[in-house]
Amino acid sequence: MTAKKGLSKRSKGKVKKMEEAKVGVFLSDCGGQIAKILDFEALTGFLKTVNGVALVARGSEFWRGQGLQAIVDAVKEKKINRVVVAENIPKISEIAITKAVEEAELNPHLVEVLDIKDHCAWPHKDTPKEATEKAKAMLLAAVEKAKLLEPIEKTEFPAVKSVLVIGGGIAGIQAAEDLADMGFQVYLVEKEPFLGGLAAKAVRFFPTDDCAICIQSPTSDLKTVTQTSRKCVYRSGFSEIPNLNVLTNSKIVKVEGAPGNFKVTVERKPRYVNEKKCVACDLCTSVCPVEVPDEYNAKLKTRKAIYVNKPLVYPPVYAIDAKACKFHECAKCVEVCPTKAIELDQKTEHLTLNVGSVIVATGFREYDPSVIKEYHYGEYPDIVTHLELARMLDAFGPTNGTVVRPSDGKPAKRIVFVQCVGSRDRRWNPYCSSICCMISLKHATLIKSAFPDTDVTICYIDIRTTGREHEYYYERAREIGVKFVKGRPAEIVHDPATNTLVVEVEDELLRRLLELEADLVVLATAMVSSENARELAEILGIELDQDGFFKEYNAKLRPTETKRRGIFLCGGATFPKDAPTASLHAHSAAVKAAKFLMNGKIVKDLKVAVVNEDYCGDCEFCPVTCPYGAITLEPKGEGHFVARVSELLCEGCGVCVGTCPVGAIELRHLKPSQISAQMKALLSINGTSKPLVLAISCSECGNAAIDSSGMAMMSYPANVRVLRVPCTGIVQVQHILEAFKAGAQGVMVVGCKPDGCHYEVGSQKTHKKVELAKTLLKAYGIEPERLEMFNLVYIEGDKFAEAAKMMTERVEKLGSLQLA
Amino acid sequence: MAEEKPEKPSTVDFAREITSKLGGETITYCYQCGTCASSCPVAKTTDRYNPRQILRLALLGQRGEVLTEDAIWLCASCYNCQERCPQKVEIADVIYALRNIAISEGNIPAIYTEFATGLMSEGRIVPISKFLEKKRADYGLPPLKPTGIEALKKILSATGFDKIMFKKGESQ
Repeated sequence: MTAKKGLSKRSKGKVKKMEEAKVGVFLSDCGGQIAKILDFEALTGFLKTVNGVALVARGSEFWRGQGLQAIVDAVKEKKINRVVVAENIPKISEIAITKAVEEAELNPHLVEVLDIKDHCAWPHKDTPKEATEKAKAMLLAAVEKAKLLEPIEKTEFPAVKSVLVIGGGIAGIQAAEDLADMGFQVYLVEKEPFLGGLAAKAVRFFPTDDCAICIQSPTSDLKTVTQTSRKCVYRSGFSEIPNLNVLTNSKIVKVEGAPGNFKVTVERKPRYVNEKKCVACDLCTSVCPVEVPDEYNAKLKTRKAIYVNKPLVYPPVYAIDAKACKFHECAKCVEVCPTKAIELDQKTEHLTLNVGSVIVATGFREYDPSVIKEYHYGEYPDIVTHLELARMLDAFGPTNGTVVRPSDGKPAKRIVFVQCVGSRDRRWNPYCSSICCMISLKHATLIKSAFPDTDVTICYIDIRTTGREHEYYYERAREIGVKFVKGRPAEIVHDPATNTLVVEVEDELLRRLLELEADLVVLATAMVSSENARELAEILGIELDQDGFFKEYNAKLRPTETKRRGIFLCGGATFPKDAPTASLHAHSAAVKAAKFLMNGKIVKDLKVAVVNEDYCGDCEFCPVTCPYGAITLEPKGEGHFVARVSELLCEGCGVCVGTCPVGAIELRHLKPSQISAQMKALLSINGTSKPLVLAISCSECGNAAIDSSGMAMMSYPANVRVLRVPCTGIVQVQHILEAFKAGAQGVMVVGCKPDGCHYEVGSQKTHKKVELAKTLLKAYGIEPERLEMFNLVYIEGDKFAEAAKMMTERVEKLGSLQLA
Repeated sequence: MAEEKPEKPSTVDFAREITSKLGGETITYCYQCGTCASSCPVAKTTDRYNPRQILRLALLGQRGEVLTEDAIWLCASCYNCQERCPQKVEIADVIYALRNIAISEGNIPAIYTEFATGLMSEGRIVPISKFLEKKRADYGLPPLKPTGIEALKKILSATGFDKIMFKKGESQ
C-alpha cells in the first residue's frame, strides 16, 4: 500500500540537489595494528590519484571521539559530500558515523563504510603485499560506489493509537487490558455472546489449581478496584477501563488499509437483549419454553433459548440463542422482563473500526475424537473428553462437581484416561499438544482427592511434565494412588450387559495385555487451531503453519509477530498453551503492538524499491515474489498493469530486483550502476598471482560468515573479493555474466541458509538462479564450475575460508577464462 | 549364519537395512506406544508374538534375535496393527520385510520350505490328497484341474524364487 501524498510528510529539507562528488576517505589503522600488515603509505598515495577523492585522512579510529569529529569537520568545513570510512565492525561504526554525518547536515546515505581489517588485513596477514593491493581494490570500489550514492529521504506514515484484539479468551482479555492500561483505544472482539473462551469452561488451571478465569488486575484507576496480583474476571473491572470496548457476538469480515492505519469491518450479530437494560434477574429463563442441549456444559444438561453462562461470565447479561428461539411466535420473555431489555427486532450491524494494529488471540479447541473409530467417542456416552470432564468437576456445572456416567447419571467409580488421542498421531495431528499430560494429571488428582475410592488409571505413551512445578503433579498423582499404564489402548469396547467399558491395552512394562474395566473413559484429545483460523488468516493476509495454527514470524527471535507488520499473535492461536504461557504471550504481543504504535507515526528511511513504469508492465513476477506483500499491480491504461511498491511495507531486500526480467525495478539504496561500479573496481586490481574470484555476499549471515573468518584470522587467498548486497535475492544472472566480463575467473554467491534467509525467500530464489546461470554459462562456453553458491552463517567462518580456497584452486585448475 | 556371537546393539545399521527394503521404510517412526500389541489377535493367544517387541528389538539392532527366532513368522497378516498405528508404521509390511531378509539368509521355517517344495513340484502349496478329492466330490465340486506347472516353474525360476527358498539347503 503506497502512502498517499497527503498522508506522508517527506523531510525534503535535508535532500540537496546532486552536486559534484567530493569524496573524503578516512582510513582507520585500528590503533596501528593493521598498519603492520597493510602499507598505509601506499594506500593513501593510491587514493590521492583516484578521481573525485578530495581528502584522505588516516587515524586510529573514526567512529568515535576525535576521529568522528574529523569526519564532521571535513563535511562542514571542507565541503566533503561523500564519506568513505575504512573501519572495523562496520555495522556498529556505521551507526555512529551516519548519525554524526546527519548532524553535520549531510544526508546519512552518502556514507560508505568498509572493513579492511576483517575482510583484508587479517585473513591475508601472511601475504601483506597482496593484502595491500586488495585493500586498494576495496577502497576504490567504495569510492566509486560513493560517487554514485544519492541522498535518501525519510517519510512518515500515520499510526493510529488503537488496537483490535480478536478473541476474548484469557490471552485476548490480557492483551486488551495491557494495551488499554497503556492508554491505547482497544476493541476486544469475541464471536460468542460471552467472554472467557476455553478458560471459562476449564474451571481450574495448573500449576496453581486456582480458578481458570482470573486475570492480572488492571492498573487503570478504577476506584473501588484494588490492585492485587490477580482478579476474577467479573471483579477485575477490566471492562470498565474507559478506553476498552468489548464487542461480543462479533467477527471480523474485512480488513483494508496499511499497518498503522487499518480499516476493519466487524459484523455484530444481535444479542436480542439490551446490555444496558438487562439486570440479570432470571425471570426470562423461567418463562422460556424452549430447552436445548447446553453446549457450554458439554451438553450434559439443557438450557433455555434465553440464557447466561453461569457464573463466571462477562458480560453478565442474558443472550438469546437465535437458532432455538421462537421469537415473536412466543415472546413470553418480553412480557416478563421488568426492564424491557429484550429486543427481538435487533438486526446484525456492521461497524468500521480504524486501528493501527491487530492482535489475533483466537485460541485453540479440542479435536473431535470421533474420527478415531476404535475409541467409539460419540457412540458410547460414557466416553468423554477432558473439557466435558472439566464441566462435571465444576461445582456450578451440570453435575455439581461429581463425576458421573453420562449414560445413567451414576457415580463413576472406575475411570481410565487415554493420552494422545488424535495428537502425536500422524494420521490426524502429528504434533504433541503439549498440555494434555498436565490436564490429565490435574483432573486425576482432583478426582482422587475429592473421591479417594475412585479407581483412576492413566494410559500413556510418554508423560510430559516439562513446565515449572509440573513434575510435582506427577509425583502427587502417584502419591495419592493414581495408576499409570505405559501403553496406548488399541480399542475401547462396551459390554451392554453390565454397561461397562473395557479398555484394551498392553502394559508394556509387564508385557501383558490388560482389559481395564471402566465406568468412564476420558480421552485426552489433541488441541487444534480454532475453526475459523483459515478464514481469518485470509482476511488478515497472514499465514498458518503446517499444523493449522497461526504462524509466528520467527519462533526464536520474533515470537508473537507475523510477516505482516502491525499484525500480532498471542495465546493458543499459535499453539496450545497453558494459562501462564498464554498470559506471557499476551503481554509480549501487547508490548509489540504498543512499540509499533506508541509514537503515533512510523518514521522510515526510504531505502525501498522503485519501479520504472516505462519498462514495467503486465507481468506478475515481483508481486508474487515479494516476501512482504509490498508490491501490488495497479492498472495503467486500457487492460495494462504496472507494479507499485508500498514504501511502508518494502524492506529493501531487492528480491524483486533479482526477479524482474526487464530490469524495471531497482533499489534506491543500491542502484545497478553502483553494483557495476563496485564490481569493476574490485576486479580492476589483482596484485596476487592467483585468478580473481568475486564473492557476492548478502549483508546478513553471508557477510557475517566472512566477518567471522576474518575476526578469527582464518586465512584465505587475497584474490577473493567481496561485493556486499542486502540479500543475495537481488542477484540477477546478468550480474554473474557481468562479473566474468569484468575479469572474475570464478564467482561465489554467499547467502544465508535457504530456510534461514533474513528476507524469507531470497536465498532459495538465488539458489535456483545460480543453477539456471550455470546452464547459461555452458552455452557461453564458460565452465559452470566457475560459479557456486554457499549458504553460511556467522559460526561458519571456517567454511567461508575453506570455500574461498576451494574456489581459487578449482579456478586455477580450470585455467584462464577466455571470453569470446 | 552370520550372527552367531552375542551382538553389540547397533541401532542405526539394522534399522537402515530394514528401511531400505520394500515394506520396511516406516519402521523408524515407531515410538513404542503398544497400540499394535494390544490390537493383535495373535498376541492375545500367545506370548511368543508381540509386534511392538519385534520392532523394539529391530530398532535396537538385535538382528540375530529378530531374524532367527520364530516370532516374525507368527504374524497372521490381519493388518489390524497397521490400520491403528498412530505413527503410520506399516507394521505388517515391516514384518514382511524382516521375513524377506531372514529368507535371503537362509532362515526359513520348515513349513515354508514345504510350501515352496509343493509349489515347485505340483504348483500347489497344499498337495491334493485322496481325502481332499473325495471331500470335493461329496460337496459336488468338480475335480481340481492340473496346474500349469511348467509355466509356473519358469516364472519361479525367472524371479529367483527357487534360489531364495532353497538357499538354506545349498549352504548347508
